[in-house]
Amino acid sequence: MATIVTSYEPTFWDKLYFPALLRGLMVTLRHFFQKKVTIQYPDAKYIPPEGYRGLHRLNKYPDGRIRCVACEMCAAACPSGCIHIVPGAPPWEDGKERYPVSFDIDLLRCIFCGFCEMACPEQAIELTEIYDFSNSSREGLWINKDGLLEVYEMTKDENYYMKKSHEADLTSG
Amino acid sequence: MPLLKIDNAELEVESGITVLQAATANRIEIPHYCYHPALETVGSCRMCIVQIEGMPKLQVSCNTFVGEAPPDKKIDEKYDMVVHTQTELVKQGRKNVLEFLLLNHPLDCPVCDQAGECFLQDYAFKFGNAHSRFEEEKRVRPSEYLGSQIVINQNRCIMCTRCVRFTRQISGTGELFVQKRGYDFKISALEDQPLDNLLAGNVTDICPVGALLSTDYIHKNRIWNLHEQPSVCQDCSVGCNINVFYQKDRIFRVSPRENHDANGYFICDIGRYGFHRFEEIERMTSPMRRDEEELTEIQWDEAIKVVAKNLSDAKEKIVFVASPFHTNETNFMLGRFQKGFFGALPLIEEEGITYPSGFSINSDRSPNHRGMNDVCPSILEDMASEIDQQNIKVMYILDDGVDRELDQEWKEILMKMDFVVVQSYALTEVAESAHIILPGLAPFEREGTVTNDQGRVQWLRPSLPLKGKARPDWRIIMEVVNTMGKQELSYSDVGEILAEMGKCFPAYEGVSLFRLGDYGLSINGKVKSS
Repeated sequence: MATIVTSYEPTFWDKLYFPALLRGLMVTLRHFFQKKVTIQYPDAKYIPPEGYRGLHRLNKYPDGRIRCVACEMCAAACPSGCIHIVPGAPPWEDGKERYPVSFDIDLLRCIFCGFCEMACPEQAIELTEIYDFSNSSREGLWINKDGLLEVYEMTKDENYYMKKSHEADLTSG
Repeated sequence: MPLLKIDNAELEVESGITVLQAATANRIEIPHYCYHPALETVGSCRMCIVQIEGMPKLQVSCNTFVGEAPPDKKIDEKYDMVVHTQTELVKQGRKNVLEFLLLNHPLDCPVCDQAGECFLQDYAFKFGNAHSRFEEEKRVRPSEYLGSQIVINQNRCIMCTRCVRFTRQISGTGELFVQKRGYDFKISALEDQPLDNLLAGNVTDICPVGALLSTDYIHKNRIWNLHEQPSVCQDCSVGCNINVFYQKDRIFRVSPRENHDANGYFICDIGRYGFHRFEEIERMTSPMRRDEEELTEIQWDEAIKVVAKNLSDAKEKIVFVASPFHTNETNFMLGRFQKGFFGALPLIEEEGITYPSGFSINSDRSPNHRGMNDVCPSILEDMASEIDQQNIKVMYILDDGVDRELDQEWKEILMKMDFVVVQSYALTEVAESAHIILPGLAPFEREGTVTNDQGRVQWLRPSLPLKGKARPDWRIIMEVVNTMGKQELSYSDVGEILAEMGKCFPAYEGVSLFRLGDYGLSINGKVKSS
């Protein structure tokens, strides 16, 4: 069945083009005086809201010990299979009986769904607000246990980007 | 035969078996902890309770026997016993039992190595309450070593006493006992008599919870990460059936597989921890040739050409050394050389042990001695003198592997040879004397069949991938035979060789991988070929 398409026949007013062009420029001009929605990204950082799912971290107890017990619940829950854990015996005598000898996350595979933090029985793994962690190599986007603990140190007190902007203020002021 | 009714199923069973056995045989699930088919029944866990018509209370099905009822006492005029496993009363009873079992059981499944294959976890999920009403403090006790390889987490123990009965009835050593009673009970071993017998590892398998753990596997991996491959133990000629648990190219655990025609329910610790000795060896991953004193890597084509040429030049003055460590298929392929003498190195023998339960560890520590004798052309009794008499200077050796220690006599024989080919997976003592080493497969990489000392042919399945340029042993021999040019062999897998073997040796007629399945076939009763 053929469908008959009637094309729009431009009027004389349309054929002039200028009125339409000016109408478009008016939109630009109106936004010129409004509050801007974009930011000057590398200089100014977007501050994500609470609950944003960015780079992972491994939490510590107040005494400095890692919370993770290498139960591999996060690896089991992970839909993309990006968490690789090697469990072993802990370096300390008392306390937890399991310990992650190595804990690697392949950030290129990760889809940042947050299932790992939901599965964690020890609240050890968490997703932070950090979103800019680009790297020029694939290997550079494998984050290991030390890296994850470092992220914890960077984000434990307050929002990573708030702190960054404070620091920027201090250095510039 | 009494007629038994369990739920809706009518079963005609033998008189004298228990309700639990009748149900399990007919795939009706009755949860249980303390009952184990190999052990004496104690009926202490109370998990297997069922409702039996005509009995006032719930009964333990593991210790209630089915018998013939007098004609006037039959239920519905035909059943000798009517059992209900799904009524509200039974369900509530199971909940109550589980509540008691879980009173002091820690909620530490995430760090427990049994999680994933734990009966307490499974049954609590299936039959238990979602919440605990126990608000008091749980009993906390430290873990203890019962033996050098066995550790007990006292908190998780549910006191089924399977382990205690195991050491009394199966190994007959009786190291374990129940110390104290009631709330303070615990499983213990005396300090001067630890659980260190060769069957000790089995207590970790029969423990239905994560209380007894093997130090070899503890905290190494999670069970759901591992692949399970049914296979056969290669550490003695009993041919125990095992499950190999592996991840990628590493074996993490070996556990017994039930086969009443071979090993029953258990395996010994030699087979259980035996896989470790293949982890440390330096694998042979490409063909090697000896130039002067040094071994240099060469290509496969070249290696096979050199071997074929030397074997052809030697005419019939060759000794082919078969190996009881290799599969039937590899030894059969060695027989395809046809012209030459066939021999084998002396048996590797260690102390054999037979336990009171009948479980035995054979003194012959090679898995396939009987199979090798079955499928090879007549093997020379006294190889050493034959070599001298016939003035043999060429040898083709299937290497026994890392277990073989050469005595002085054999070292001298090998030194006298002009050309020695060794098919091996590591640089063993035999391989060190070789002129050409062809890299074959290590024990957990091989596929084929092995015949145990009772004449049961079993399917040996591979669990690890091939390493480097190593090739299956039967394929290497096939290529050498083909390159020599007298025959044209074209087998594409072990199944085809097995079929060919059946044609040559009547005892193996009709044996196929499909028919072998998980439990193997016995070739006893068939005519043994000469």
